[in-house]
Amino acid sequence: MAQAVLGMPTPTRPVWKRVDVGSGGVGVAERDALGTTARLAVWPPQSLSRVLGAVDAELARLDLEASRFRQDSEISRIHRAGGGIHRVSEGLAEAIRVALAAASWTGGLVDPTVGGALLSLGYDRDFAEIGPGRATALPVPAPVPGWQAVGLDGRILHLPDGIWLDLGATAKGLGSDRAAAAAFAAAGSGGVLVSLGGDIAVAGEAPVNGWPLWVADEHLPSSRSQTAAQLVRLATGALATSSITCRRWQRAGQLMHHIVDPRTGLPASGPWRTASVAAASCAEANAASTGAIVAGEQAVAWLAAEGLPARLVAHDGAVRLIGGWPAADDGRLEAPHDSRLLARSRTDRGRRWA
Amino acid sequence: MEHNREAQPGRVPLPRFDNSSSVQQAAIARDGGIRRLRRVSNWTAAALIAGVAATSGYFAHANPVAPATSAITATAPTGTGTLLGTTHKPSVSSPVATSGGSGVTVGTSGSAGGGGGGTSGSVGGGGTVSTWLDN
Repeated sequence: MAQAVLGMPTPTRPVWKRVDVGSGGVGVAERDALGTTARLAVWPPQSLSRVLGAVDAELARLDLEASRFRQDSEISRIHRAGGGIHRVSEGLAEAIRVALAAASWTGGLVDPTVGGALLSLGYDRDFAEIGPGRATALPVPAPVPGWQAVGLDGRILHLPDGIWLDLGATAKGLGSDRAAAAAFAAAGSGGVLVSLGGDIAVAGEAPVNGWPLWVADEHLPSSRSQTAAQLVRLATGALATSSITCRRWQRAGQLMHHIVDPRTGLPASGPWRTASVAAASCAEANAASTGAIVAGEQAVAWLAAEGLPARLVAHDGAVRLIGGWPAADDGRLEAPHDSRLLARSRTDRGRRWA
Repeated sequence: MEHNREAQPGRVPLPRFDNSSSVQQAAIARDGGIRRLRRVSNWTAAALIAGVAATSGYFAHANPVAPATSAITATAPTGTGTLLGTTHKPSVSSPVATSGGSGVTVGTSGSAGGGGGGTSGSVGGGGTVSTWLDN
C-alpha cells in the first residue's frame, strides 16, 4: 500500500482484486487497508460489486478517525494538541468507547493507553520502517497510565497530557463490524464476511454450514500442510486472532512484539503465542484474543467463564480449546449471540482475570 | 331517567325477574354455559396452536430459508463449491479467509484460476506495509 511513513498518505484509489477461492457461490475480493489486507466475501456473488463502495467508505472513515500512523487522522491531531478536552467525531467517540469498554471488561489487561509504551519500545513508525534493531536499552518496566484516566462523555473526550491512545486492540475489529454491517446493508440480502487482517465479522446469512475459515497461529499463510492450522465454520458473530509471532522487531538484543502488557509497559510474556476467540462482535473477539495473550494462564478460566469459544496455542505448539471451540477440523464455531463486552461494561467496572 | 312502568290498557307487560328462584336458575344456567364455552374455546385455541406449530415445523424442514434474492448465476470456477439452487444459500467448501496473526496479510486466495488454498502475498506487491497497529 502506498502510504508515506509518518506523513500524509498518498491519495490512491482503493483497488480491489477479485479472489478465486474455488467456489462460484460466493464472490471474494481483497485490497490493502489499514496497513493490512481487507477481504470481502459475499453471496450471492453478484452483490460483490455493489458492496465494495460501502466497505471502502467504512475503512476510510475508520482510518481517518483512529489510525495513529496517519498525521491527518483525528486521533493524531488530538495527540499533537496535547492533553485537555476535545470534541471528537461520533465515529472516534465510538472507537474510544469500545476501547474503554474492553479495558473495563478485561480488568485493564487490554488498555488503550499503551500508546506511549509502544512508542518507547520502538514501535513509533510504520512497522515496515522499523530498523533491524536498536542498541538503546529497554525502558524500565512500569504500568501504563491506565484507561481510567481517560474520560469520555458522549463526544467529549478528556485526555490527560502525556497519554497516547492506541486503539489497535479493538479498532480493527470494530472496523470489521462496521464494514460487515455496511456491506450487508448495501447487498440487501444474502450474506457477507469482512476480514481485516484476519479479524473477521459476518452479517446476514452464512452459506450452508457457515463460512469456512482457516484459523492459523503463524504469520505465514495457512494451508492444509500446517498442522497448527484448523478449518472452522462460522455462521454468525465474529472471529479474531492475536499473535506474538508477527510484527516483531529487535530492541537492545531482545525480541519485541506488538502486544503490550499494560502492567509492565513491555511486550506480554505469557504462555500463549496465538489466541483465537469467537464472539458476538469482532471488536469483542479482538479484545478477548489480545487480552488472552496478556493474561496468560488466567485467560483459560476467564474465557470459559465468559462462554467465549477460544483456541490458544502455546509456544511449543500445544493447542488448548476452550468454551466449545470445535475439536474436529471443519467443525462449526458457535459464537455467542449476546455481547459480553457491552454487558460487562454496563454492570461491572473492573472485572478481573481469575 | 324515569320510565313509566305502569300497565297501560291494551298492553301486556314484560315479565319481571323478581322471582329469586328464577334468578338463581338463570345464574346457574349462565355459569354452566360460560364454563362450556370456555372449555370449547380452550380446546379450540389449543388445537389451533398445535396446528400452526405442526404446519410451521413441516414447512421449516421442507423449505430451508431462501432469501428473496436474484438467482445465483455465477459460473463456478475450479474448486469444490456447489450451488444448491438459484435462490438457496450456497454450499462453500473452500476457506474464504484466514484468521491469523494480528494484522498480517494472510489469505487463501489462489492465483487466478488456480483454485483455493493458495496464498495471497502482500497485496499490491512490494512487501507487507503495516501502518495499522493492532495490539
